[in-house]
Amino acid sequence: MENFEPVIVAFCCHYCAYTAADMAGSKRLCYPPNVKIIKVPCSGKVDAIHIMKALEMGADGVYVAGCLDGDCHFKNGNIGAAKRVAYIKKLLDEIGIGGERVEMVLMSAGMGERFAQTATEITEKIRKLGPNPVKSVNEAKTAA
Amino acid sequence: MITAERKPMEELIECLRPYHRILLVGCNECVTVCSAGGRKEVGILSSALQMAFMKEGKTLDVKEITLERQCDPEYVEELVTHIDQAEAVMSMACGCGVQEIAGRFKSKPVFPALNTTFMGASERQGVWVERCQGCGECVLALTGGICPIARCAKQLLNGPCGGSTNGKCEVDPDIDCAWQLIWDRLKALGLEDRYEDNIAAKDWRTGRGGGPRKIIREDLVK
Amino acid sequence: MQAQDTLKQNNTVLVIGGGVGGIRAAMDLAESNRDVVLIDKSYSIGGLMTQLDRTFPTNNCDLCTLSPDLSEAGRQLHIELLAMTQVAEAEGEAGDFKLKLITAPRYIDLEKCTACGDCFNKFPECVRFTPGLDHRAPTCMRYPQAIPHAFSIDMEKCNDVDALVQVCKAGAIIPEDTQKVREVEAGAIVLAPGAEVFAPDKLDSLGYAANPDVVTSLEYERILSASGPTQGELVRPSDGKQPKKIAWIQCVGSRSIHEGAASYCSSVCCMFALKETIVTKERFQDSIETTIFYMDMRTFGKDYELYLNRAKNDYGIRLVRSRPHSVFHDSETGRLSIIYSPDDGGSNLTEDFDMVVLSTGFKISEDVQELAGKLGIELNEHHFAKTGGFSPVSTSKPGIYACGMFESPKDIPETMVQASAAAFCASKDISILSEPIESIDEFPPERDVSQEPLRIGVFVCDCGLNIGDVINAKDLADYAGTLADVKRSEMVGYGCSRETMKHIQDVIREKELNRVVIGGCSPRTHETKFQDTLRRAGLNKYLVEIANIRDQDTWVHFDRPEDASDKARELIRMAVTSVALSHPLTDNVFPMKKDVLVVGGGVTGMNAALNMADMGVKVYLVERSGELGGVAKNIHKTLEGDDVQAYMKDLIERTTQNDRIEILTNAFIVDHTGMPGMFKTGFQIAPQMFYRQIEHGVTILATGALPNQPKEYLLGEHNNVMTQLDMDAMLEDQPDKIKDLSNVIMIQCVGSRCPENPNCSRICCQSAIKNALRILELNPTVRIFVLYRDMRTYGFQEDYYKKAREKGVIFVRYEADTPPEVQAADEQLQVTFNDPILNRKVSVYADYLCLSTGLIADEESTEDLGRIFRIPKTSDNYFLEDHIKLRPIDLPVAGFFVAGTAHAPKTLRECIAQAQAAAGRAHCLLAKDTLNLGAAIARVDKERCTACLICVRACPFNIPFINADGYSEIDPAQCHGCGICAAECPAKAIQLMQYEDDQILAKLAGLLERVN
Repeated sequence: MENFEPVIVAFCCHYCAYTAADMAGSKRLCYPPNVKIIKVPCSGKVDAIHIMKALEMGADGVYVAGCLDGDCHFKNGNIGAAKRVAYIKKLLDEIGIGGERVEMVLMSAGMGERFAQTATEITEKIRKLGPNPVKSVNEAKTAA
Repeated sequence: MITAERKPMEELIECLRPYHRILLVGCNECVTVCSAGGRKEVGILSSALQMAFMKEGKTLDVKEITLERQCDPEYVEELVTHIDQAEAVMSMACGCGVQEIAGRFKSKPVFPALNTTFMGASERQGVWVERCQGCGECVLALTGGICPIARCAKQLLNGPCGGSTNGKCEVDPDIDCAWQLIWDRLKALGLEDRYEDNIAAKDWRTGRGGGPRKIIREDLVK
Repeated sequence: MQAQDTLKQNNTVLVIGGGVGGIRAAMDLAESNRDVVLIDKSYSIGGLMTQLDRTFPTNNCDLCTLSPDLSEAGRQLHIELLAMTQVAEAEGEAGDFKLKLITAPRYIDLEKCTACGDCFNKFPECVRFTPGLDHRAPTCMRYPQAIPHAFSIDMEKCNDVDALVQVCKAGAIIPEDTQKVREVEAGAIVLAPGAEVFAPDKLDSLGYAANPDVVTSLEYERILSASGPTQGELVRPSDGKQPKKIAWIQCVGSRSIHEGAASYCSSVCCMFALKETIVTKERFQDSIETTIFYMDMRTFGKDYELYLNRAKNDYGIRLVRSRPHSVFHDSETGRLSIIYSPDDGGSNLTEDFDMVVLSTGFKISEDVQELAGKLGIELNEHHFAKTGGFSPVSTSKPGIYACGMFESPKDIPETMVQASAAAFCASKDISILSEPIESIDEFPPERDVSQEPLRIGVFVCDCGLNIGDVINAKDLADYAGTLADVKRSEMVGYGCSRETMKHIQDVIREKELNRVVIGGCSPRTHETKFQDTLRRAGLNKYLVEIANIRDQDTWVHFDRPEDASDKARELIRMAVTSVALSHPLTDNVFPMKKDVLVVGGGVTGMNAALNMADMGVKVYLVERSGELGGVAKNIHKTLEGDDVQAYMKDLIERTTQNDRIEILTNAFIVDHTGMPGMFKTGFQIAPQMFYRQIEHGVTILATGALPNQPKEYLLGEHNNVMTQLDMDAMLEDQPDKIKDLSNVIMIQCVGSRCPENPNCSRICCQSAIKNALRILELNPTVRIFVLYRDMRTYGFQEDYYKKAREKGVIFVRYEADTPPEVQAADEQLQVTFNDPILNRKVSVYADYLCLSTGLIADEESTEDLGRIFRIPKTSDNYFLEDHIKLRPIDLPVAGFFVAGTAHAPKTLRECIAQAQAAAGRAHCLLAKDTLNLGAAIARVDKERCTACLICVRACPFNIPFINADGYSEIDPAQCHGCGICAAECPAKAIQLMQYEDDQILAKLAGLLERVN
């Protein structure tokens, strides 16, 4: 697993994290290319199924990035998202995939640095965890 | 509504271990409302089961179907076109639904994904509480609309036991003492006198004591 | 820019100042179809607010809330934005102003600049950026969402112009750029130039100039800010270490007699300092001690008192009532010593701090005073715009309106109110509307693509070299061409340039494409542009997907080009798989019924009604009681001496005589249904209680508040105990009674700032001062005591407070836990209170005891109306607006607006401003014949819905309901498009348009299928 490059899906709220990611861009702050962003109107829009499917399809890590406490454009979508992520973590622990592959992070639109730093930290963490155990079977399936 | 909770994943994985292709059947009634076995939970469990299998180097094909109501034969009939492709069925309905499927498809193993818990009400979003035990002879008219059968740990019919402290049950201080609630309610209704009336011993034959029950409406029977 | 020729100039409003107020005004005007020229002397709009880290009282950053407004302002078709522009000359009258504008050279072509930052990276010294404190942030736009989204070059600092020009691959740098002069004709002018921060360098005793660790509050804000010079690290400027003990000194440059300082109160600094201390505590807890030195804690705004209580009780902010006279630098310890005299009159104390923050006040800059001179408007003695007593945003010159800080010191919500009010007044001067620009005929009819097989077109932009320098855009386009259903894939240079847009349209038509993917920059900034391109090519605008391969790929992975290429392929794949599932969506458009319902017939309601009637719409003015007038009918004079009775008489007359206003008195609202543009509200009208229903497009709530009558200090029991309102009436009706008085005592905060009514009533300090001065006018020998907790004479009211002190009114402070005691002594009253300076109890016999009882929410009406209209309330029963900072007039239910004391206690003048603002906001909605709510709304599949109520409970805006047919219904007119219901629905019966589940899963599949 020396050259393991994890694939990480980041569901980013349009109003904060997605903008922060753009800002990391305009500041040219490098972070690992492993993170791929899917834009959502609010972190509260991220369905538990989306997170599960991402892992089932072979993503090594998933995180949901919402606004800071009290900053949600829709009042409390970020709080709901955080609870949902906590629920999924437990479920993943139960099936032995490991809840630590999923995270909820909060940031404001101005936090380009935080975005880059979070992306780096999560990538490192997932790299240490190693590949999503479902992946080898998926590969075998594709090969077959 | 009938409330239920998902069984531990380990138990579910264990009973599906011998199979490669299953039908995962949700129910669009009570268990959807209590977020235990609706279309969404079917999607999440399907994903979780497949991942659990893949992690062990195996695969599990899951066909997801959510029926309008699993406890009615006409809806269960919708499974006919899919049942042959599946080696087993996992039902996310209450016990009624599981048995309905098992009864219809006699040669297929059918497994419950949920523990059916109680008949209850939503206290608020995400919290369900037991309100009825289906005893077959409702006493709510006598008890100010609060059921001592479902809400008193000892099912007492004539006042609280000695364990009632500050309006809470001795079984768990988070549980309200049903008889305290009944008293408060009678007082609010100005019916304190009723508290003195004895409720006669209950005939439990209308409940589980008389064995499995059945309702027949002659006028509706075809 | 050619816009000059197309604008109907005399029909234009010139808005001067691009801060939050100017932006609000410009957007209100544009929304109501007026053409606007918005000028700002800076190179991007946003003003002071964009420099703040967080704003009180929510402690939110709010830039995210504001930035969509900023970009909307940049995009609005009615708005021409001229940055770096000032007024050189002005002449003319209302309806016909002629102005000469001078625009300084930016040396950047706004059309070409993509804000890539290449110029800044190579030549940082030539690019302008000065947002306070340490003089350079990582990006030289003032904030990440800057509008115009372009750089600005300081040519004087540039040594090698050729090299600079070369570095811009877009060719946007124009060294030969010169100052531009242009003439603009305008029908009206809105002034929102803001104020500048008092520069404390002249106050030697505070050591600002000498000590780097003495900073202004705005500089402290920049230190805290994530986009600031230290990227949010809180460190001392002198040594880069984190401070352990920080002091705030209030009223620097305000309430002052120093040279160059102002005598008025700057109104916002108390909250500003509290916010900074709380944010500091939130981030560093007990590792930083925070102390505020203050004179009076002036937290008089809506819910601000609760904020003060939180600061004291929850965060342990130390508040010291004292005005320190000096700050010394101790060269041995490197710390700052503050010398102050304690409140109890004891001897001087010295205390050391690591950092000192000066809460500097606001003043009007000389530039702005000069501007006022050019426009010929009068300024008051403090150089702020002089406006009318009952016309709070009208300057001395008809057709010119002032708002925000330029009118008087104020916070953001009040600025927003005045901005909407000023915009509305200006729009009344512009009688002829220009045509709505969003004319559909520019666009060809949409092609029906429902039966067509997928034909996806991919356009990969190289964005100059921003993308092309890191990855091979051509290869990427070739790769995209191999993906399923992609019929055409090509690389384009600068996808957002006009020629390329045109080219993309041609290719869509030629190749009969029916889905489009753009590989380029962020959809946040460019989606609208490409949606337009699709519409021009005859496609529905929701058939495009943008893969953000610049901001989120080549810009951040330039160090790893191969990985960047891989990622770009993945992003394009995700966009292709997802766009394949997109389908045409229709924006939700509703017809607009133009009648207005105004609830409440007090001064606010009448003003709102008259203003709306002036715009030619029918107004229903509903009043619960038998007559118009409300509380203001019992007020005689304002603090400034204006005659309220005469004003009210005229106002009531004008209202009752207006043909467009139908007044319904004794009317109670009983039911309400519908959506903006088509509301239906039912009334019962006393005494017969017959029922009537009216249809209306918008609703303005002006239900007011009630004069508080707490059972305290013998009020209602003793003849000579009265409220300030009673005193106001006595001064007018029975002046003789004043002649014989010797002692009058006033007690402040009676029934306010207490557990039963925790907030400040805002108006009582000024009414006490007003009555005290009027008593002394009639009888200069009366001894008047004012027992107070904090004197909250904000803004120019401070002048009257000062005058009262000069005239001998005795102000004695009391603490909440040791209130004065009152006993009846025959006709007199014996008042016993603690004198904090003598530190002993003092008893005074008073002829009259005046209680400053303030206002209390009209719980009965807000309770009923809140329930009927589904409008939330604050904990103390005032209506809760949509956004307490940026949308103080709009209620969370679309089509509803609040004004006056139903929002929070406020003065008459403030009520009038809010009434004008509410009329303005309502007018913005009504200016359209239809209401477009976009397409991102939640849709329920009724076959799947189990009516479980989860969406009903999960929606942050209470929009879904279970309808008569037994399934959840989501009103598209009210859905905000967050998608929370869709994510929570256990039956998967709800989909959020534009973000449907299958599209999100398709993105995952597009990303992960090759991984598998």
